[in-house]
Order: sequence, then structure tokens, then C-alpha cells
Amino acid sequence: MPHKIVNGQQVELTADEIAAIAAQEQAWNAGAFDRAMADLRQRRNQLLAETDYLALSDNTLSAEMTTYRQELRDITNGLTTVEEVNAVVFPTKPE
Amino acid sequence: MSLIKLRNNALDNLTSFEGSASLGDMVLVSSATASSSASIEFDLGSYKEYKFFFVNMHPATDNVDLTFNFSTDNGSNYNVTKTSTFFFAFHNEANTATALNYEANSDLAQSTAFQPLTKSGIGNANDESASGFLHIFNPSSTTYVKHFIGRLNHYVDNNFTLDNFPAGYANTTSALTNIKFQMSSGNIDDGKILMFGLN
Repeated sequence: MPHKIVNGQQVELTADEIAAIAAQEQAWNAGAFDRAMADLRQRRNQLLAETDYLALSDNTLSAEMTTYRQELRDITNGLTTVEEVNAVVFPTKPE
Repeated sequence: MSLIKLRNNALDNLTSFEGSASLGDMVLVSSATASSSASIEFDLGSYKEYKFFFVNMHPATDNVDLTFNFSTDNGSNYNVTKTSTFFFAFHNEANTATALNYEANSDLAQSTAFQPLTKSGIGNANDESASGFLHIFNPSSTTYVKHFIGRLNHYVDNNFTLDNFPAGYANTTSALTNIKFQMSSGNIDDGKILMFGLN
């Protein structure tokens, strides 16, 4: 029986409440891709930030580091599903 | 008669205990244990501060967040305008990822939406849950906006520990009458919320 708990007591949901929950779940599911992409970008940005100091104007990036950072920037390219986002493998940071 | 002090070594022969031990100005107002429940709601009264403890909040659906909202009309609508901040730290079991970040997807700017208490999703595997606490300050005030500060730790579904720091205010000078907790999707499968009032 669908229910909520109010002040410790179990209360059966009304038809309106059940409909509102269904709408909420539909909206949540519709946003799954955007949430997955946001988490991916956050992790990517973190990895880029860890090597930002190597890209200052008084330092020359190695070819390996240039490639690594470009792969990080491109990591969101072509992703269209949550499954694709979750399957992303980050490039290995050069020594 | 009130019990003033308990000593561990004085309870050896205790076989029963009647009455209640005072916690001073902190009072257990209510508690609720979820069992495949859509939401958990509490009436708010005139305590100067409320503190909610979340113990092993376990979602029915994988990768969802614990959220809350307020009512100013005795629970008819949970849609109070809020502005908030949210930052977090994480670390994974593989010891390959750490971060301390502001989470722009979990803050609110004059929004009536539910405020997330966690981000990136609580896992629904048998050993995964969220625990922590939330303070609400002076919800019955008709002068000030109502501040809240939360702190929860949870097990993210891809084996991360995530430390959540939501805070903000309900931007209303109407008294808050109720609070509602629910997952961003699906039921609260299990978990206990303890509601304390402080004078």
C-alpha cells in the first residue's frame, strides 16, 4: 500500500499524491543524462585543474601532457546516453 | 524525581528503568522509521531550533538523493522558496579520486523545489545508505527567514564516500509548519529520522 509517514504514523497516499510522485519520478528520470554529464564534467575539470600549473606561460607542456589534457577536454564529445557516460574511461595521466 | 547523573559503574544491578532521563533543553519530539515509505513528514512547532538525525537512510531506487522541503500551510503544500549553497568532499575506495567542490546542481536560488541533502546519488545495495543531521533554526519566527544547515555522509553507488554540506534559508517570514523528507525518486526503503527540539 503506497504510504507516507506523518509524525511517526503511517498514512495512506491519496490519488493526487500518487500522481504527484509519478510526475516527480518522470522528471527525475528525464534529467538522468544531464546529471551524469554534470558529474563527468566535474571529475574532468578536477583532473584538468590538477595539471593547470604545467600549462602556465613560463612552462612548455610535453607532448604527452598536451595530448592528455586535450583528451580530457574532448571526453564529453559524442555522448548521448547515461550508459555511455557511465562507461567513460579517463585517460591516464603522464608521469 | 529527575535523574541528574548516571555513572556507568552504577548500573550493574539495574533490572528496569522507568521514567525518562532529561537531556536538558534538547527534547526528542518525534521519530519515524521508513518501510518502503514515499516520504516522512513532521509538524514543526515553537522550538528555537530543531535537529534531525538521519540514520541509515536507504533508498529503494539506486543513485537517488535525500531531499526536503517546508510547508507554511500545515502540510497542504511543500513549496517554500529557498536559497542555498552546497559543497562536498569525496574519496573513493580505490584511493584514486578525491575532491572538494561546490555543487551548483544541488543549490537553490529562490526556488520552491526540494533541497537535496546529498548529491551524486545514494546507492541502494544492501550495505549502502546515508547518515547525518540537519539543523532548522527558529521555524516559527514571523520576523526572520529560516536558516538551515545540514551535514550528511553517504555511500555513492560507485563506491565513493561523499561528505555533503547543504545550507541556506527558507526565504519567508511566515512560520514554517511542517517539514517533509523524500528521495529524489522512489521510496525510502529503510532508515530512521529522529527529531529533536531545542529551547
